[in-house]
Amino acid sequence: MIVFDNVCFSYKKGEESLSNINLKVDDGEVVLVCGPSGCGKSTLVRCVNGLIPHFYEGELKGKISVNDIDVSGSTLRQLSKKVGTVFQNPRSQFFNVDTTSELAFGCENFNMSPENIEESINRVVNKHDMSALMDRSIFKLSGGEKQKIACASIAVEPIEIIILDEPSANLDYKGICELQKMIEAWKEEGKTILIAEHRISYLFPYITRALLMEKGSIKKEFTSEEIRSLSKDELHGLGLRADDAKDPTKLQDNSETVIINKQIDDNCNTQNESNDDVKSREYYVLKNMKYSYKGEKPVFDIPEMKIPKGEIIAIVGENGAGKSTFLRCLCGMERRCRAKLDIDSETLNNRKRRQNIYMVMQDVNHQLFTDSVLEEVLISQDKEDKEEALRILDSLDLKEFADRHPLSLSGGQKQRVAVASAIASGRDIILFDEPTSGLDYYHMLQVSDILKSLKEKGRTVIIVTHDTELIERACTQTFLLK
Amino acid sequence: MEYKLNRDIHSLLDPRTKLLLLFTSSIFVIGTAGEKWMSVFYWILVFLPVVLLFVEKEWKAGLISIAIYIGSFFAQRALQHDLTMIESVFALMLFILTKILPTVILARYIVMTTKVSEFLTAMNKLHVTDKLTIPISVIFRFFPTVAEEYKSITDAMRMRGIEMGAKKAGEAIEYRMVPLIASCSLIGEELSAAAMTRGLDVGKKRSCIWKIKFGLFDWFIIIFCFACFIWWGIGRFFV
Repeated sequence: MIVFDNVCFSYKKGEESLSNINLKVDDGEVVLVCGPSGCGKSTLVRCVNGLIPHFYEGELKGKISVNDIDVSGSTLRQLSKKVGTVFQNPRSQFFNVDTTSELAFGCENFNMSPENIEESINRVVNKHDMSALMDRSIFKLSGGEKQKIACASIAVEPIEIIILDEPSANLDYKGICELQKMIEAWKEEGKTILIAEHRISYLFPYITRALLMEKGSIKKEFTSEEIRSLSKDELHGLGLRADDAKDPTKLQDNSETVIINKQIDDNCNTQNESNDDVKSREYYVLKNMKYSYKGEKPVFDIPEMKIPKGEIIAIVGENGAGKSTFLRCLCGMERRCRAKLDIDSETLNNRKRRQNIYMVMQDVNHQLFTDSVLEEVLISQDKEDKEEALRILDSLDLKEFADRHPLSLSGGQKQRVAVASAIASGRDIILFDEPTSGLDYYHMLQVSDILKSLKEKGRTVIIVTHDTELIERACTQTFLLK
Repeated sequence: MEYKLNRDIHSLLDPRTKLLLLFTSSIFVIGTAGEKWMSVFYWILVFLPVVLLFVEKEWKAGLISIAIYIGSFFAQRALQHDLTMIESVFALMLFILTKILPTVILARYIVMTTKVSEFLTAMNKLHVTDKLTIPISVIFRFFPTVAEEYKSITDAMRMRGIEMGAKKAGEAIEYRMVPLIASCSLIGEELSAAAMTRGLDVGKKRSCIWKIKFGLFDWFIIIFCFACFIWWGIGRFFV
């Protein structure tokens, strides 16, 4: 049983993040803690696994007890015997390099006998059908596979409470299905589960109740039936995502869908043009788009593909269909791809494409180099023009941050800085790799507005995404990579 | 098919043997203790890491190492005359390279073939304190992480036109380090939070699913390493 008694918490630097939390979670309950980014849901679950106050320092008032252990009066190690956590970013939650050791890691730390650990690992691996993932390097796994290992390594431990902190942020449709199975299995075993999340519909079948948080306090409590009956607009009004965990590859919406066949069949058209006015549009023509890992079958092999100018194009496809690789090839980063892109009269090879296409990466931290936001925009310009740079920053609500260090900004702001430098570079084609992963409704809207404003500026935007809400809202055309 | 954990998977050598070999290699190859007197041992220590690469089926890395060895051997022979300024700089670099390379190959081999859990247990058996081994064990995980981050950053720089020989070439190094350090320190923090929620703590006894014991090859290497030190001692004090 988890009990919060009048809990307030503020991080060392900054305002109060939790205020007057009173909460009681019974054994075997599955409780969803939802709300927009910054509402305090992650802070709340950190109080249960003990990272607050033992790892993240700050001022904690009130009393938290987890299965009769007083959180402030115990150590992280004592709590870790009862509570297991799956974090948002699978990149940084593994201590080991190989998957098998990672599964055993928690139990080893508690000095369980190797025979017992072995038995437990065998049980979990067979139950979740993951023998193909064993004895692998975690650096060779996809995001979905990593999250599965993270869940499994919790399942191996004999714990009672499971914390999931935005577990779906980096998952696509298939990864979410796997996560659902995991949660279902835990529920059957009678574990208490606490999930912080703003993408909520995939959890509906499992939760016993949902807590809505706002500005650090619990604003409302819903039963499972109540939250399920909320309409899409009502969910959006609460800042929550309302994608019903749809499979983007089966998407049928009003934007035109073009199917690109990854492999050449004998007699198939690479492109089906359904609409008449399609013909009047201008196109970039991409030729010989082909990529394969060393000694393997091609991931995709597209002889010719027409990319309409000035549109917002979504590229969707199944897990592992090579969407991100497609983007990397398109902007000329993969040496093994020899594609050519016809722009007006010019044909661009890899090197030229690197100079003419801008990509906003999924992890924008990798592409912000300088020590101020303004400098970031200036180095992208062909000729440094401070006034123009400030104008661009202003159009993205970044003017006030011009002197800040880019890495000190929030995730959404960093993304906008990357967009600002994309605009400043004057390149006509801008690519986005999963721009909305892990974003709540407001921030998704913000991204969608930015995409639309790029379209208004006459840029062609190509995004790889599995976010069906973003596609419905912003994209004018969908390419399905099959 | 039913999955069954095999607890007996390990590389040819025990982690303790690997560390002893690394220590020996640092002293006699990089430090060139004993010089001419140790030359037989020296050459064994130079080629042993390459043999280990082949044992791990790292054909490409092994062949490249041999190619570098041979290349630098002939280059050094060619440079045994009166040297110009540039030639002597080149010769010096070559000398440093050949001294360091075998130990670098060995260190890379150790990082790639040792499981973190094996390392912790092996150090524990040697009664080394956790306060030292836990931070060191993170290295095994950190090398590939840094490599991964470095690659993404390089890609981003190429796309933005900041690379050697292009604009801002001078700042290229600084631009590379800032995001690298920022993201590595973030990963480091998240990593330690995650490890602590899984019960990793200093001074607590932990078990290990991997079977750790010395095998035949371990004894060969251990005897060889001790022989190095003994032979060196004989040369140093008795001859």
